[in-house]
Amino acid sequence: MSQNSSPAWGTASRVSAAVLGGYGLSYASTAFLSTFLPMARADRVAVASLLCFAVYTAAVIYVFAARSAARAWIVLLGMGILLGLATWLAGDYAVRP
Amino acid sequence: MNLRRAMAGLHTWGGLLPSWLLFVIFFAGSLACFDKELERWMRPDLPVAAEATAASSLSLDQVRDWLLSKAPDAHALYIHGPAPRQPFWWAGYVPADEGEFQSFALDPVSGAPLQETVGGAFFFSLHYDLNAGTPGLYIVGMAAMFMLVALVSGIIIHRRIFKDFFTLRPGANGQRAWLDAHNLFGVTGLPFHLMIAYTGLAIFVSLYMPAGVQTAYRGDAMAFYGDAMSLFHREETHRPAAPAASLDALLADAQTRWGGAQPGWISVEHPADEAAVVEFRREGRTRVSDYQWTLAYDAASGELLHEQTPYAGGYYVYTWLSGLHMAQFGGHFVRFCYLLLGLAGCAMLVGGLRVWVSKREARGGRGLVLVRALNGAVVGGLPLASLALLYGNRLLPAQLVHRGRAETLVFFGAWALVAAWVVWRRHRLGNDRRMLALGSLLALGLPLLNLLLTPGNSLLASLPRGDWALAAIDLALLVVGLACGLLARRRPAAVPAPRRARRDALGEGA
Repeated sequence: MSQNSSPAWGTASRVSAAVLGGYGLSYASTAFLSTFLPMARADRVAVASLLCFAVYTAAVIYVFAARSAARAWIVLLGMGILLGLATWLAGDYAVRP
Repeated sequence: MNLRRAMAGLHTWGGLLPSWLLFVIFFAGSLACFDKELERWMRPDLPVAAEATAASSLSLDQVRDWLLSKAPDAHALYIHGPAPRQPFWWAGYVPADEGEFQSFALDPVSGAPLQETVGGAFFFSLHYDLNAGTPGLYIVGMAAMFMLVALVSGIIIHRRIFKDFFTLRPGANGQRAWLDAHNLFGVTGLPFHLMIAYTGLAIFVSLYMPAGVQTAYRGDAMAFYGDAMSLFHREETHRPAAPAASLDALLADAQTRWGGAQPGWISVEHPADEAAVVEFRREGRTRVSDYQWTLAYDAASGELLHEQTPYAGGYYVYTWLSGLHMAQFGGHFVRFCYLLLGLAGCAMLVGGLRVWVSKREARGGRGLVLVRALNGAVVGGLPLASLALLYGNRLLPAQLVHRGRAETLVFFGAWALVAAWVVWRRHRLGNDRRMLALGSLLALGLPLLNLLLTPGNSLLASLPRGDWALAAIDLALLVVGLACGLLARRRPAAVPAPRRARRDALGEGA
C-alpha cells in the first residue's frame, strides 16, 4: 500500500485487482494458450480452458502478496495485455486445425 | 507487507465470505452422493416386486408412444430404462418450442406415472446451481474460486502443517479447540478439497471461461464439441416422418455392437420429422472417464448413421476431471468415501466459522452478531430444512397438483422459519442445543413415519428382504438422530468467554 492512500482504499484496490484483474489475466492466458499450444485445435482449447482456474488462483494470491496494490495492478494488466496482444497478432493462426 | 500476514488476512476474510454458501454446496453435494437412494426412498409408491426382478414389462416402443401421445410434435424425447439403483423408467420430452424439459417417472410394471416428487435430484441441483438455474451456476462457480484461494492461502499460513495435524486440544479454550478441529479436517481433507473445488469448476468451464472457444473457434461452440467428442447432428427437413422403426430392435443392435453393455439415456431428436435420429448411450460406470459410445440411427430405416469414437486428448482430460468429481466410477465404496470427505469439508467450514466467532467473542469485534446469526441460520437451518423436505415428501397428498413445487416450498419454508427463529434469538444462548434437539426428533421421527404411512418401505420390511439401498436411508436417519440427541444433551449451553468481552458481544447491535 502506498503511503499517501488509506488502508481501506488499498484493500478495495487489491480486491478489485484480484477479482477483475485476475479474471482478465486468466481470460487472456486461455486465449493465448488456445492459440499457441502445440496441439490439435480442440485439445488446445480444452487444455487451456482447464488451466484457467489455476491461473486465476495464482493471480489472486499474487495480488495479496504484492508489495502494493498499484504494483499488483501493473503486473496483472501488463501480463494480460502482452498475452492478449500476442493472441491478436497471431490472427488466423489461432483457428488452425 | 509480510507474506504470511497478508495470506492470513486473505484466508480469514476470503474464507469467511463464501463459507455459508460453501456449506450449502458441500452439504447438498454430500447428500447427492446417494441421490438415487434418496430418490427411491422418496418414491414409496414404487412397487417392491419390481425391484426384486429389476425386469420391466414395459417396452421402449410403449414408452416412446406414450410420450408421443402427450407431445406429438416434441423437439426431442429422452428415455432411461430401469437400472439397479433406479428401478423405474424416466421418460421426458423437450417441447416443440424448446421450452422447459418435461419428465415423468414411470412405474416399471404398470407404466403409469409415479406420484410427483423433487426426489434426490433436489440435493444434486442445490449442489451445483442452488436450484436457481444459470445465475446459480455462476454463484456456485464464484464460491468455488473463493474456496481454491482460501485453500492455497491456508496452506501458506500453515507453517506447521504436519505437526498440527496431530494436535487436538478439545479441553483447550474455545478458539484453540475450534482451530485444531478446523486444521484437522482441513489438512486431512486437503487433497480432496483441492480436487473437488478444481474439478467442480472444470465441469462448467465452458460457461465460466469462454475465451478458448471464442479465440480458436471464433465462438462456434458446436464446432468445438463436434471436434472434441465426435457428436452427430442432423438438421430437420420439416417433412413428416416415415413410420418409425422399433426402438427395442435398434437397442438390441446397439447392445450387440457394445458387447452386451446396458444402455443409459436414449434419445429421439425431432421425432415427427423425416430427419429424426435415435441415439443410444452406453451406461459406463466403471471408469473415471465415462466414454458413452453413442450410436446414432435413422429413426425410420434403422440405418446406423454415426458411431462415437473414444474421447481423446484434451477432452479426455476434461471428462476424467468431471468424472472424478461426480464419483460414478467405483460403486458404493467410492460414493461413501465422497460422502464422508464432503461432511469433513462441512466440519472444516464450521470449525473455521467458530474460530472466527470465538476469536472475536474473546476480544470483541464488528459483525459478530451477524456471523453468529448466519451460522445458526445456515449450519442449523439447512440440515433441518432437508429433514423437513422428507416429511413433506411423505405427508403431502399424493395427488396434489405441482407436488414437487410444494415439496420445494416445504424445504425453503422450513429453512426460512429456522432462520427467522435464529435471528429473533440472536442475543440468547443455547440456540445450537435446541436445533440439535429438534434435528434429533425430526431424524428419529422419519423412520417411524415411514413405518406408519408406508409400511412396505419401512425397516421392518426392507431389512428382512435384504433391501439395503432403502434400509440404509432409514438407518442413517436413526444414526443422525441419535448423534444429534447425544450432542444436544452433552453440549454446554455456552462457551465460557471472559466477562467483559461477553458483555461487549451481547451488547452489540442491541
